[in-house]
Amino acid sequence: MGAFESVAQLTQALRDGGYLADRGLATTLYVGISLDRPILIEGEVGVGKTEVAKTLATVLGRQLIRLQCYEGIDTNQALYEWDYARQMLYIRALSQRELAADESVEKLFGPRFLLERPLLEAVRAGQQAVLLIDEIDRADDEFEAFLLELLSDFQITVPEVGTIRAESPPLVILTSNRTRELHDALKRRCLYHWVDYPEPEREVAIVLTRAPGVSEAMTRKVVAAVNRLRSLDLAKPPGVAETIDWVRTLTVLGSSDLDSRTVDETLGAVIKERDDLDLARRNLDRIAQ
Amino acid sequence: MFAVPDAPIVAVLVEFARRLRRAGMAVGSGEVLTYCSAMATLNPADLIDLYWAGRSTLVTRREQIPVYDRVFRAFFLGEPDGEADPVRPVVRAFATMASVLQIPATELGQEDREDHRAQLGLMASSVDILRDKAFAACTPEELAALRRIMATMRLAPPRRRTRRLRPARVGRRPDPRRTVREMMRRHGELDALRWRARRRRPRRLVLILDVSGSMADYSRNLVQFAHSATRAATSVEVFCFGTRLTRITPALRRRNTDDAMERAAKAVVDWEGGTRIGDSLTTFVRDWGRRGICRGGIVVICSDGLDRGDPAILANAMQRLSRLCHTIVWLNPHVGELASRPSGHRGESVERPRTLGMMVAEPYVDLLLSGHDLRSLEEFAERLPSLA
Repeated sequence: MGAFESVAQLTQALRDGGYLADRGLATTLYVGISLDRPILIEGEVGVGKTEVAKTLATVLGRQLIRLQCYEGIDTNQALYEWDYARQMLYIRALSQRELAADESVEKLFGPRFLLERPLLEAVRAGQQAVLLIDEIDRADDEFEAFLLELLSDFQITVPEVGTIRAESPPLVILTSNRTRELHDALKRRCLYHWVDYPEPEREVAIVLTRAPGVSEAMTRKVVAAVNRLRSLDLAKPPGVAETIDWVRTLTVLGSSDLDSRTVDETLGAVIKERDDLDLARRNLDRIAQ
Repeated sequence: MFAVPDAPIVAVLVEFARRLRRAGMAVGSGEVLTYCSAMATLNPADLIDLYWAGRSTLVTRREQIPVYDRVFRAFFLGEPDGEADPVRPVVRAFATMASVLQIPATELGQEDREDHRAQLGLMASSVDILRDKAFAACTPEELAALRRIMATMRLAPPRRRTRRLRPARVGRRPDPRRTVREMMRRHGELDALRWRARRRRPRRLVLILDVSGSMADYSRNLVQFAHSATRAATSVEVFCFGTRLTRITPALRRRNTDDAMERAAKAVVDWEGGTRIGDSLTTFVRDWGRRGICRGGIVVICSDGLDRGDPAILANAMQRLSRLCHTIVWLNPHVGELASRPSGHRGESVERPRTLGMMVAEPYVDLLLSGHDLRSLEEFAERLPSLA
């Protein structure tokens, strides 16, 4: 069994690490750790998906290995790469006789010249690591298929070196912003959790944990305003990260009240889309209340 | 390592999974096994544990959560199952959309004319004549013939450079891997660098088809054309709209044409109704465009531009769309009908005034074609590869 005895214990540990997880997320994480299953976390932007992995690594005392996905990411960037510059120098340094020898070749394509990239690093570290595969939806289909293979048996084959296998798999957390639908096969390998916007009470608690030193009264007002913003038909509703930014902005400005003028002046901290700004400005009075 | 818990609870969980399946969720036995193992580490008597363990092991996408909740409540809490209807994946696309006022069509389809022509029974007309005949003027038999031709059409969207590299004879980036290999082969002598170049991929093709009343003569053929397109090009997305937008890509993913058409017809709820191009395109941009479905892609809008909505909304949507995608192609059957007459040119004819929708949308359109007959669709297919 993992490092935790119960869901409550995990929740408390995360809380101590500065992350307030609700029961659903904590249960999913607990099951994931217990069953050694990867966890796929989906949700709107800025609800703390990446933060989960970071906190979990700290709490578990493991190394966080992060792989940020992007279009065109391939095995050279995700798995391993040979240190070509050193290889070339090495070849140059060898004499004719040495070059022909088998062991030179072996050395050349041996661990000495192998550069570990996040996935190989994670497989090597095994249980010592939390592997965060961030924004998997940005990578292309080919990479997803490749990942599927890796997640099923946690072994990597480097043709020149051999197969490297994780003795015990690392804890894997994948995040997705749902810019596209992931393949079912990949999802089936994972536990799935959808992160919603937190309840107002919890959001206040999160802001107070994340931004110590801000006034609680102000935070309450901001959270209420953000919730009213979310109820507008915005293309990109503000996440918890935006709420924190907004509270911080207002604290820096020394505002004590959230009237429509203050909202107007600081709206850029929460809304970052022109059409949404227009829509919000038209409803200023409703938001400020 | 994790003993599957006592038999009674397993039977309960399996039965629960069966209920979920009946409600339309794809739950495999592997997932049920994971659920059982998960419950072994939790407290099976705790409803909240039961709920969350099931949700994280059996649910694979957000849309399934309401279904899961409903079945869970019915099964474990004995609440009446409010919705007997199993979820249909095809309707999922607009499940979250606000309902739009349905405006009945005021233009009648040209049924009379069509019936009249049908009686003439031009069964033996040759393919070439058919090519230039507007769909609206074709008899059902001719349309069937055209569809067969359409099914053989191949679409090749223009290609774009990706960030992936491939080995190349001439390229801009060195390929150290191959260079080192070559060095080894030549006993450490480096004669020439090996290169890599960006790989190229076809751009994504997005078809947005108007299926409202005024397009009734064309829409079926356009959907047919879209079906051929999904089979011909690698990544194609197809949407239909009248008063609301529906994604029919999953419905068209059938080899059999009739099958695909039937599924598409079921998915679209507003065949031959009114038109709200602006609202539909806004929905497209908001729900799909931003998620990257058309980024760097070719968007093909097939519509006559007869919009019953606010022109400002259409202009706004077109502007946003043009910023999101690479090229916008507009197929307007009525343009073609005019162009084929000697006096008409691009809708500036007196016979049928240019629609307001077209006037608003045109500044953002990169290529305006007709699409009223097979020849024009072939022209589109021909010009597609060079739109890069």
